Amino acid sequence: MDSPWEEDPRADYAPEADWAKLSNEFTNSGYREGIIAGKESALQEGFDAGFAHVGVPIGRDLGSMRGIISAITSFLSSKGQEDSTTLTTAREISSSLAGVRFSDIVPVDQEAEQHAREHLDANGDPIGQSEELLQKREMEGLEDMVQRLTAGATK
Amino acid sequence: MADEFDLEALVHLEQTFYDAGYTDGFAHGRIHGLIEGRALGREKGFEIWEEIGFYEGFAITWQAIYAKHGHNDQRAMHHIKHLLDLVSQFPQINPSTAAIASGATEEIDISKLQRQIRSRYKALCASLGIKPTLRAVDAESTEDGGIQSADQQKQVWKLEEDAKRPTMQGLSF
Repeated sequence: MDSPWEEDPRADYAPEADWAKLSNEFTNSGYREGIIAGKESALQEGFDAGFAHVGVPIGRDLGSMRGIISAITSFLSSKGQEDSTTLTTAREISSSLAGVRFSDIVPVDQEAEQHAREHLDANGDPIGQSEELLQKREMEGLEDMVQRLTAGATK
Repeated sequence: MADEFDLEALVHLEQTFYDAGYTDGFAHGRIHGLIEGRALGREKGFEIWEEIGFYEGFAITWQAIYAKHGHNDQRAMHHIKHLLDLVSQFPQINPSTAAIASGATEEIDISKLQRQIRSRYKALCASLGIKPTLRAVDAESTEDGGIQSADQQKQVWKLEEDAKRPTMQGLSF
């Protein structure tokens, strides 16, 4: 029985089905563990990239515009031009800018979209969105609805 | 069945399957980690710099107005200069990466810098005779009350939100 070769005539002892089961079981459990580890390994990297390449420049631009219009508005009103059209325009720009949200201007994450398409057969969970961000989107949706309602009422 | 076995492989059969699955899963997980991380990082970066950018635009515009109108309010000019200087020091990438990349031990105290910027902005508003926007007031109201607790969390943006969630959420394969 020292021989490493299979000499046992009961070779059908490990049929294909068992083999497949074994393979599936361990491959799947490896996959599960791997996906968690892989995700954790990349979160910070993704965060830093999104932070530096998208969030910061867009935030800075929008904030800057708001700061500029805020300075202009306060300058004009400090000059006592309460009812000048320039001041009215500045105020209009200011309130329009105040209504801009990040989700309105953020570019699409192409890679996320692409990957989401690959997942389409799955259960339709939006991916790449944390619970918290999803809630925020939902709130914004409600805000928009209220906005439309009040806008409709005043018209 | 093959006539020949690599006995080693047979012994580690389970491990071999597991490892193959793990490698595939890891690659897939990375994609999800990057996507989710990016979404969070975008929000945070935007949130922080939208405020800082506001002060920057505000200061630059007043600087331009003064330059054009030959105003000579030394106090306001002084505040503008300092405000812009502080803004220029504010990091545009997540400091955790910056620190690792440069191997620097010197840490930027983000929340301190942020407080300095806010109060400089308020000082500028005061010297201009303008009411500061609410954001600075709100943010400062909690912080004005004396000494900042020393154990305030390190201002490096980590992904703590993520740890609270069940890990499998949104992962399907």
